[in-house]
Amino acid sequence: MLGWISTISLLAAGAPAAPPDAVGRLLATQCAKCHGAGSAHLSDFDISSRDSLLKGGKHGPAIVPGDASGSRLYQWIVEGKMPPGEKLDAATTTAVGDWINAGAPWDGGKTTSNRQRWWAFEPPLKRTPPAIAGAANPIDAFLLAKLREKRLDFNPPADPRTLIRRLYFDLTGLPPKSEDYGQTYQQAVERLLQSRHYGERWARHWLDVVRFGETDGGEHNYERMNAWPYRDWVIESLNQDKPYDQFIREQIAGDVLNPEDPKTVAATGFLVAGPWDSVSAVLNKDETLRLQARMDELDDMVTTVGHSFLALTVNCARCHDHKFDPIPSRDYYRMTAFFSAVGFGEREVATGQQRKLRAEYLKPLRKEMDEARKRLADIEDPVRARLLITRYQEFDRQRAGEPRRIAVNPIWNRNQFSETRARCFRFVISSHGGKKAHLDFLELSPAGHRIENWTAEETATPDKPQTIEIRFQQPGAVSEIRFSSDLRRGSKDGAVSVYRLDASDDGQVWRTLCSSLDHVGNVEVELPTVSGEEIEAALTPEARTERSRMLAEIERLQRNMDEAPAVVTLYAAKPRELEKAYLLERGNVKRPVEEVSPGVLSALGGEPLPADSKDAGPRRLALANWIASSKNPLTARVVVNRVWYYHFGNGIVNTPSDFGVNGDRPSHPELLDWLAVAFIENGWSLKWLHRQIVSTLAYQQSAAIEEKAFAIDAGNRLVWRMPLKRMDAEMLRDSILDVSGNLNPEASGPSFLLQKKGSRGSYIYAALNNDGPEVWRRAVYRLVVRGGERIMMDSFDCPDPSVATPQRAISNTPVQALALMNNEFVIRQAGLFARRLEREAPRGRTEQIRLAYHLLYGRKPEAKEIERDAGFIAAQSLAAYARVLLNSNEFIYVP
Amino acid sequence: MAGIALAQLEAQAASTAPHFAPKAKHVILISLPGGISHVDTFDYKPELAKHHGRETQGANTIKPFFGKRGALMKSPWEFRRYGQSGKWVSDLLPHLARQADHLTFLHSMVSRSNAHGPAIFQMSTGFIFQGFPSVGSWISYGLGSDNENLPSFVVLPDPRGVPPCGVANWGNGFLPAAHQGVVFGGESNPIADLRPPPSVSAPVQAATYDLLTEINERHLMQNPGEDALVARIKAYELAAKMQLTAPEVTSIAGESEKTKELYGLNDPASRGFGYNCLLARRLIERGVRSVQLFNGGHFGSPRVNWDAHEDLVANHTKNARTFDRPAAGLIADLKQRGLLSETLVVVTTEFGRLPISEGLGEGGRDHNPEGFTSFLAGAGLKAGYWHGATDELGYKAAENPVTIYDFHATILHLLGIDHTRLTYYHNGLNRRLTDVHGHVIREILI
Repeated sequence: MLGWISTISLLAAGAPAAPPDAVGRLLATQCAKCHGAGSAHLSDFDISSRDSLLKGGKHGPAIVPGDASGSRLYQWIVEGKMPPGEKLDAATTTAVGDWINAGAPWDGGKTTSNRQRWWAFEPPLKRTPPAIAGAANPIDAFLLAKLREKRLDFNPPADPRTLIRRLYFDLTGLPPKSEDYGQTYQQAVERLLQSRHYGERWARHWLDVVRFGETDGGEHNYERMNAWPYRDWVIESLNQDKPYDQFIREQIAGDVLNPEDPKTVAATGFLVAGPWDSVSAVLNKDETLRLQARMDELDDMVTTVGHSFLALTVNCARCHDHKFDPIPSRDYYRMTAFFSAVGFGEREVATGQQRKLRAEYLKPLRKEMDEARKRLADIEDPVRARLLITRYQEFDRQRAGEPRRIAVNPIWNRNQFSETRARCFRFVISSHGGKKAHLDFLELSPAGHRIENWTAEETATPDKPQTIEIRFQQPGAVSEIRFSSDLRRGSKDGAVSVYRLDASDDGQVWRTLCSSLDHVGNVEVELPTVSGEEIEAALTPEARTERSRMLAEIERLQRNMDEAPAVVTLYAAKPRELEKAYLLERGNVKRPVEEVSPGVLSALGGEPLPADSKDAGPRRLALANWIASSKNPLTARVVVNRVWYYHFGNGIVNTPSDFGVNGDRPSHPELLDWLAVAFIENGWSLKWLHRQIVSTLAYQQSAAIEEKAFAIDAGNRLVWRMPLKRMDAEMLRDSILDVSGNLNPEASGPSFLLQKKGSRGSYIYAALNNDGPEVWRRAVYRLVVRGGERIMMDSFDCPDPSVATPQRAISNTPVQALALMNNEFVIRQAGLFARRLEREAPRGRTEQIRLAYHLLYGRKPEAKEIERDAGFIAAQSLAAYARVLLNSNEFIYVP
Repeated sequence: MAGIALAQLEAQAASTAPHFAPKAKHVILISLPGGISHVDTFDYKPELAKHHGRETQGANTIKPFFGKRGALMKSPWEFRRYGQSGKWVSDLLPHLARQADHLTFLHSMVSRSNAHGPAIFQMSTGFIFQGFPSVGSWISYGLGSDNENLPSFVVLPDPRGVPPCGVANWGNGFLPAAHQGVVFGGESNPIADLRPPPSVSAPVQAATYDLLTEINERHLMQNPGEDALVARIKAYELAAKMQLTAPEVTSIAGESEKTKELYGLNDPASRGFGYNCLLARRLIERGVRSVQLFNGGHFGSPRVNWDAHEDLVANHTKNARTFDRPAAGLIADLKQRGLLSETLVVVTTEFGRLPISEGLGEGGRDHNPEGFTSFLAGAGLKAGYWHGATDELGYKAAENPVTIYDFHATILHLLGIDHTRLTYYHNGLNRRLTDVHGHVIREILI
């Protein structure tokens, strides 16, 4: 109930004084065109802050706080004077009036300056934890201090089994095994942080943040079969506990740091992990839209760097100065300059020597391959062409009643029209394959004129067509033409595609008799084809033998080529020519204001960069170093908050990718500072951070809902309990496989497929119904498709990586319930789980029920439960029972 | 700010009050992927016929997407006037032409992109980038459902294949998964996973639900106050009901022969889309909030959408045969049943087609985002009315241009939603379907 309404009121309640959305938008969009920063400031009027509105322009002050009707801004809107040529809707007008009447509250100060200090831009201070009895861990001390203010306390500790289960799911995304419950909590912490499953679990979180996908998205949605090394790099980096500052540097500039090491270069997959519109970037012939597409690429990189590492919405400054944060448009465009030599696509990583070796190995093989292919074509093409002629003729006959002929093709064409008598005819070619148009024959009937083996002298174009003129002594009667460009092979080289036939009596005035317009488009109605088997059947025995030999030869050569000394190919930041960067007016690529050099955010006033470096690499490295610096006030805070969020279900700042004015305020600012400073002091070690967090009383408390605390803090921002967490999509899939005993432990390497691209030019990824160990790997290793056909995980809020997902939604829907009940994957795994129970608990139902509870819930069943469940198994089956348990809340919600 | 995450992340598919009295309770969105030509259907351009064969020059040169310049090409179809309104419609769509008095045309639509992907995204989600919530998802989020036993947003892809860009057309983006479009495919098993595989018998299924409920309720007693656990128990109850309700909706055995004929079910060419149109009516009758239909599938060969690059006549003739009678039948049927007064029908495409041929001497038309036609029918609209115009050749919107933001704002308005107030926080912004743009097209409203 009230989903979005409550969201709005919650935002309003906690937000700083600022113009309401409608007013902010009006200022940021319509007004800013002429009166915003980077604009011409028409009438000497600047709308970018409260002060400048108070000051106004040459017509006087724009607002009089408390008096809308006396404020020019409001008057002019009401009168329709502004924005020019546009009458604002009533809602916006009212919002402006209400805002001014309320005193025009706007705390943000001048948005383009650094005057107002914003908490997140101040360096984190090394806070002293409050002295709280019984709180040995500084984190607990900070939390308890706030709880005590409200006369609250932590919940009592969870029982040890619950704790072990919580820890396993949190750190590795997998349930504990039976024997795991025997260890102490501290042992488990150390063991799990050393487990490679830790990296697999936490990489998935990071991949959400950086919108990692393995298809382009959009219309052409091509696969990126070599994008997985980035995913492996993230997993490995986390497992090695790579210092977070280095983790940042490699992702932004790994190719600069270590250009010959594939792993470090793979890290820059980060920059290009997002969607890419190859159609707009490559195919589009409209220059403006191509420039626009390039700006969109740069925007994606700036956005992701801003969100992921700094939790800043730098991207808001693309069309105007940021309306809330001190990020002028100029800063945004200076940021784009860092990436102006980064493109999307695959790149090779190799030393000169490796490349040379590979080239030398491949050269003779390629030559042999070309020869083999040519010989195969020599055998196949004539047979194919012969079969096609018959088929085309047959197809043409079948379509006799249709208004249009079969598509123009290289092999056999016919066109008919009402009989025409004329002295002159001409066949006009305006488009064709290859360099010069060719006709094996052209026949006009019934007059019976035939031309053979004709080749044009020049390339034909619509402007300069090539023409064959035919003159009869006496007027000839023509009602049909036939022609072929390559009767014997059907080659597209020289094949006529656009033609017309004209007639004239005097060679001066021409009329068109027929043209390629009379043929149906090839993609609308497909021409018949010939299969490999049909070709084989039509060959002579000798030719058949030769064909098999060639096919084998091609296969052999391909195998040899596959074994060429490897040069690693990666989907990662692809070098491209360095472009100049411009400040654009209102984000319009056709309105560059001035050239800008690379630079970091002015409000953060970081150390100067080698801003005018001509070389693209050092630029990007400078940016990486600026972000990955202990002096950057945001970097450490942002990452400790993310880790906190995944452990507790709430962030200290609950908008993990927005630490700006529009974002959440920290619930525990001192704690956030303490964590950030200590994190840096401990070598930017994420494992250190996990250890600190999971060692707290806060983390180890129970999930129970304590009424008093709930009444005061239902959202648990003060951390008076550990919330119940629903498994996310990957955790659920992995856990089902794990308990059924089928999780394939294979790590790293190419992704397995749950969706596959269609054939014949389709860009749609159909869900596969495949099963078996190759798809029983952890879900982090699946090929992450953008916009693919629905799979079970989608119902569990598994995000499409077209946008970043710093927080996943958690929804409960009937469709989700149906998926977990009825999806074949679940049914099969339930069956396998039942078999495992029988195998490992052969003595009977009671023992099987006990084992199932142990594996799924981490507890012993009560006598009543055993009785009830045994009854069900007797009436139904163990597999049916396993399916019930896999659907149960106690399995899916981890306390 | 406290509780923001919980409030949002656990937002449910429950009905929320509209902002003002809605004109329409349901919406049927019909998309024609590939780009149907406006100058060959509803946007009559006699000047184009006069200038047939001429090339455009200088500042007036028409820029095609694939760069193949052609000459002005008149429509191969004749235009006639229909109904009281005297609307000009081409012979390509004779059945829809006869419904002209019920329709409201927007002749000055403009899109932000000339490429299918971004243009389709904009039409389906308001943004030219992938990943934003679709129109139907926003409506579901804003209004919830009138029937909990069915999804609030149902999608019916063309039986010839899913549209270009696939599920992104009906994705929930960053909205909770409760608002994603649910694809209905086929009469017998309309929703994925609606039924277990045949190996699971009905009694087993019933017993499974029973034991699961028992286990979950006991678990809830031990975890009092956990709303999410309650919600999940409820979801299973609804799932069981949906399993019964959905096949009842999709079976058209009870429909009369006359109705089947009206929707074109007796013509093999229009049967597939006709069934979907009929199903759309059955779904909204049962309280489904939005139904999105597609006439046209993805790219590939042979082509099954309106992207008439090479051969306008063959392409549009073929597609019109699948589209015209069912779409007209739907409008007529809604009208005769009194449903049109509470339903909004929207027919649109990602962009139109150029008035020039694609290449000299060739017979296709390239993409035209600068001016195209969409039409609507139903509650709150002036019927037999048209708004906006392209220039005399049909190239650019010349009069009252309508952006897709305006288009979406108007759809939401008719459903009782103020497009500026339907927001969801994501990555630092309160996101809207209409971004920071959009004006309701008041001129077409009653």
